[in-house]
Amino acid sequence: MREKIYALLSEALPAVDFDADFLFGELDSLGVVTIFIILSKEYDISFDTTDVTPKNFKNIDSIVRLVEQKLAKQ
Amino acid sequence: MTLTLEQSICHYAQITPDKTAAVCSTDSISYATLWNRIVERAEQLRTEGLEAHRPYVFRATQDIDFLVTYCAIHHAKAIAVPLEHKAPEEIFDAIKSEVESYTYAEDIVDILYTTGTTGKSKGVMLSETALVSCTDNFIADLHFTEELLFIISGPLNHIASLFKMHPTLSAGGTVCILNGLKDMNAFFEVFDLPYTKFATFLVPASIRLIMQLAYDKLCSVSDKIDFIETGAAPITKQDMEQLCKALPKARLYNTLGGTEIGAVCTYNFNDGRHLEGCIGYPMKNSTVEVTPEGNIVVSGRTIMSGYVGDEHSTNQVLKEGKIYSADLGYIDSEGMIHLKGRQGDVINIGGFKVDPSEVEGAAVSHPDIKDCICIAATHPVIGTVLKLLVVPNEGATPTTRSMAQHIKTLLEPHKVPTYYEIVDSIRRTYNGKLDRKFYKN
Repeated sequence: MREKIYALLSEALPAVDFDADFLFGELDSLGVVTIFIILSKEYDISFDTTDVTPKNFKNIDSIVRLVEQKLAKQ
Repeated sequence: MTLTLEQSICHYAQITPDKTAAVCSTDSISYATLWNRIVERAEQLRTEGLEAHRPYVFRATQDIDFLVTYCAIHHAKAIAVPLEHKAPEEIFDAIKSEVESYTYAEDIVDILYTTGTTGKSKGVMLSETALVSCTDNFIADLHFTEELLFIISGPLNHIASLFKMHPTLSAGGTVCILNGLKDMNAFFEVFDLPYTKFATFLVPASIRLIMQLAYDKLCSVSDKIDFIETGAAPITKQDMEQLCKALPKARLYNTLGGTEIGAVCTYNFNDGRHLEGCIGYPMKNSTVEVTPEGNIVVSGRTIMSGYVGDEHSTNQVLKEGKIYSADLGYIDSEGMIHLKGRQGDVINIGGFKVDPSEVEGAAVSHPDIKDCICIAATHPVIGTVLKLLVVPNEGATPTTRSMAQHIKTLLEPHKVPTYYEIVDSIRRTYNGKLDRKFYKN
C-alpha cells in the first residue's frame, strides 16, 4: 500500500517532496485537499478537517497509517 | 487623520498596554510588549547598518516576529521588502540586489513584489500616504473595531494579508496569524478565543475549501463572525449564496484591491442579491472610472508610486496619477462597479497573478525540455491551476516530478504547475509566438 500511495501522491503533487522529514511543512491547503481527494477515490474512504493534523501528515508512513485506520473502521 | 501602523501600536501601548495585539499558535503579544520589541529591533537594525530610506529585504514568516520586523523597519525610517517565505535563495538574492541598487523617495515605506498589472514580477513602491489611506478605507468601509480579532491565514508578503494588520491594529483590535489553511482545525480553534467579533480575509478558493470540508463547523461559528472579506480572484454566485446561507448575519465583502491600486472598492454581497462580479462603490480615498474600452482606472491616495527601477513599465500603467489596470469592468445604473475579467496573459492562481512566460522560462532550462507552454487548467476544488504542456528533447522522457522539482528551485511555490502533459508540439502563431489564444479555448 505504501508504494501505491507514494506513487499516486507523487504523480498528483509533483512539486511536493514526499521523502521530506516533515511532510506537513511541505504542503499547502491545495496539497492537503488533493491528497484527500485522491485517497478518498482510491480507497473509498472519507476525511474531515479533524484528520488534517501535523501528526497525520508527518510523512508518507503516517498518511498510510491514516488510510489503514480509516479502512479498519469500515 | 489615521495614524500609521507603528503610531497606532505606540498609541495603544500607552492606553491599553496589556491588551493582546497579536496571536500566533500558542504565542501572543500585548501592545506594550510589541511596541518595546519594535523599538528594540529597530535599534538592532540601525546598529547592523540599516539606513533611513534604504530597503530591507526579509522573508515573510507567518509569525509575530514578522510583525515586529516589519514595523521595526518602518520605525527605523527604512523600506520594508517582505518576500514569500519559501522563495528560492536565487530569487531572494536577485531581488535584494535589485532593490539595493536604487535610491528611493523619502515617502516610500514598502516595496511589495507582484506580477499584477503588467504580467512581469515587479517591485511595487508604496508610500506612507498609500498605506495610511488603505487603512482608512478599510476602517471606514469594513468597520474594523477594537473588539475585533482578525484572522490572517494568507501569506504576509501579499497585500491582501499584509494590509489587514494595519486596519486591525490601527483600530486597537487583535490579529491572529495562521500558517495557511491546511490545518483547518487551527482555523476553527481560533473561534474559541475570548473575543466577541471575528473576521478574516479568504480568497475564493479558500472559501470553497472550507465549505467543502467544514461547512457544519463554519455554520457552528456563524454567530461569532462579524465579517469575511474575499477578493484577489472572482467568487462565483453559487459560492456567494452558500456562504450567505452559512453566515446569514455576517457582512460578506467582495473587494477590489491590488498591490498597485491598494484597497479600492467593496461590496457586501450578503444583501439578498449576491451580484456576481460586483465590487460595489469606491471607498473614501479612491476614485474608479471605466475607459471606453472597458478598463478599470483607479486614482486616489492608495495607489502605488511606481515600479522599482522600471520607468517604462511604470509609465505604461501610471498616467497622470491614475492606474490603468488590466481588469475589465463596467459601472451599473446604481453606480456600482462590476468586474468582467482581465486583459492579457496573466493567470490568477488563488489570488496570485502568474506570468506564464516566467514559468516557461524556468521550465525550458530543464535539460529534457525542448519546448513548452504554461496554461490555465481547472482543479476540482481549488479552481484555476497551472498546467505545463511539454515537448521533450528527442529520446528524453522527463518525469512530472523532475520537471516540478526543477521549476521549484527557480520560482516561488505558487508558480510551480500542478499538472503536466507531454505533447508532440506547441502551437505557435505565424510569427513564431506561442499561440496563447488557442490554448485559452
